Amino acid sequence: MSDFDSLAQIVINGDFGGAKSLTQKMIDNGVDPLDIINQGLMTGMNVVGVRFKAGDMYVPEVMMSARAMSTGIELVKPLIADKDMPTAGKVVIGTVKGDLHDIGKKLVVMMMESAGFEIIDIGVDIDPATFVKAVKEHNPQVIGMSALLTTTMLSMKDTIDALKKEGLRDSVKIIIGGAPITQGFADQIGADGYAPDAAAATELCRRLIA
Amino acid sequence: MGVGSSHGNGLFFRTLSEKQAEEIHLASCQILEETGMVIYHEEAIELLKQAGALVENGNRVYFPTYLVKKALQSAPSRVTLYNRNGEAALHLEGSNVYFGTGSDTMNYLDPFSQQRRSWLQDDVANAIKLCDSLPNIDFVMSMGLLSDVDPHMINREQYAIMLQNTIKPQVVIAEDGDTLQDIIEMAAGAVGSKERLRQKPLFMVYTEPTSPLQHPKESIDKLLIAAENGVPTNFACGGVAGASVPTTIAGALVQANAEALSGLVIHQLKAPGAPFVYGYGNSPLDMRTMQAVYGTPEAVLFQGGAVDLAHYYGLPSWGYAGCCNAKVCDEQAIVESTMFTVMGALQGCNIMHDVFYMEFGLTGSLELLVISNEVIDRTRRLLKGINTDKEALGVEAIRRVGPGGNFLGDEHTAKHFRKNWRPELSDFNSYENWSETGSKTMVERARERIKLILETHQPELVSEEVKETIETVLRKAREKFGAV
Repeated sequence: MSDFDSLAQIVINGDFGGAKSLTQKMIDNGVDPLDIINQGLMTGMNVVGVRFKAGDMYVPEVMMSARAMSTGIELVKPLIADKDMPTAGKVVIGTVKGDLHDIGKKLVVMMMESAGFEIIDIGVDIDPATFVKAVKEHNPQVIGMSALLTTTMLSMKDTIDALKKEGLRDSVKIIIGGAPITQGFADQIGADGYAPDAAAATELCRRLIA
Repeated sequence: MGVGSSHGNGLFFRTLSEKQAEEIHLASCQILEETGMVIYHEEAIELLKQAGALVENGNRVYFPTYLVKKALQSAPSRVTLYNRNGEAALHLEGSNVYFGTGSDTMNYLDPFSQQRRSWLQDDVANAIKLCDSLPNIDFVMSMGLLSDVDPHMINREQYAIMLQNTIKPQVVIAEDGDTLQDIIEMAAGAVGSKERLRQKPLFMVYTEPTSPLQHPKESIDKLLIAAENGVPTNFACGGVAGASVPTTIAGALVQANAEALSGLVIHQLKAPGAPFVYGYGNSPLDMRTMQAVYGTPEAVLFQGGAVDLAHYYGLPSWGYAGCCNAKVCDEQAIVESTMFTVMGALQGCNIMHDVFYMEFGLTGSLELLVISNEVIDRTRRLLKGINTDKEALGVEAIRRVGPGGNFLGDEHTAKHFRKNWRPELSDFNSYENWSETGSKTMVERARERIKLILETHQPELVSEEVKETIETVLRKAREKFGAV
């Protein structure tokens, strides 16, 4: 088995200790850092994605694999120019104004990160102006808004309106989610997408960015 | 107090041994003392500090074990809820079991159109009216989140509807302290005065920490208002095992117990002896779908553990029954909800809510409510156990009938058969008779029952004076929020 295959297997096994030592060994041996990511770490994570979809792996196992992958990436990152870092896409995510719930949002963040997305989590109780500021600052492909309360979900439309006003609406895809949210509501306020759960949110982002 | 539940004629059930209960208790005390809680409430922090708790970084509070012990000593071992007419209705103590609905489902599964849609005020009024007529539904919660009132008025309008459509006691959800004050105002109006309400509480208020280990300001506001006014309360989060509490049943119990006890400590510091109902929920995270699901075997066992801890502490217990993850009232709905109901009853959980919940609590089904009414009826018979007095042993009757005889013609049968359980909704007909009456499934018969009850049942009305009090409270609140 090559070091690349071993590293991929280590990621599949969710062995973050192993990922650290093997990645370091490969760096020390002069392996191209981008190859370590693309042929080792990502290859393993892609297998995890397939197995998760097929029902052979569950979310906590995917989390361990993602953690193993990140452990390796942290080591090679300083050796790669920012512009060369592979990513599935950049997403800004937050819970809307007046709402402090974030367990669902955190799940979405974890799932997306494990799928290779770069996530900027701007927190809870986020008003439209802060979303706009984050879009200007981070220039993401997607922004995600979360709400658990029927009283706060209305502020999602305010954020979309604020983005329109700033001329930023067409530069990002907007996705929304949370217990009271429906596809009908997403259509009504002019969001680009809605996902009923964290795994579906990841798929949705892939589709919207592709 | 010992663990376990004693029902009729020696029927006994327990989930934890005494030793296990103690292990969990000690582990929870360790969490309280060493890990502590973050509390977003100045008055509560001050109360705890005065009592000897250690406070770091302004709001991280570490609870010494002696504070837990002290709170357990002052909390009453029994709580009584009264109906609107001031009659004792629910004796939350020992192994008594009571059942009621849940609150605030997003969707109403309309039994007539079979559409899943938003709740309107009339729907909630009908649902509460139905509860009023069902003999095994002992208390009500708000059932549906109103879509046709101002968002800030929802809890107040729900309470007004509950108060006017049933005399049964209620468990209420309040958005914040102000909402709770308005609800107290309406309830006091209905029973005569605030003093009367304190003496004979008509409702219990639901408050909860935010797991893991956080106490939001609004929750503590309500906890303290409840303590001050002698309104019974719990401090019971709906934990999500694998996300907000540990995935192991024991770990979930340790954390849940620590959070419930921390609420009890604050509550008893504010008003020693104020009524508190111990409990906690657990809807484990399904690791494939990422849904917090009801009534898995682990969740049912968790409740058994929590109820045994309540018995161990000598506190009344709060829990769940009759709820499920199904999307319509199908076989899964009945499997999950019935298992929870039967087990919860055996566990001796004093006050069980969420009967009628579908789809992880997002949807409510009146069909499930009516069918559960019969499941509870069966269960209540189970809890009476086996009578073994001389007459029940029937030695004389067996001698009389003798070999080859028939008990149908014997006086012993005529005298006692009515004590056995009989169905109202379950079908005991022959196939021919069943098909002659339309080959109806249980859920179809449940729908017919709902229709009949809504057409014929008239709940006891409140007086014009009470109506006016309720309307005044609502009007003032509507004006405050600019809602018309």
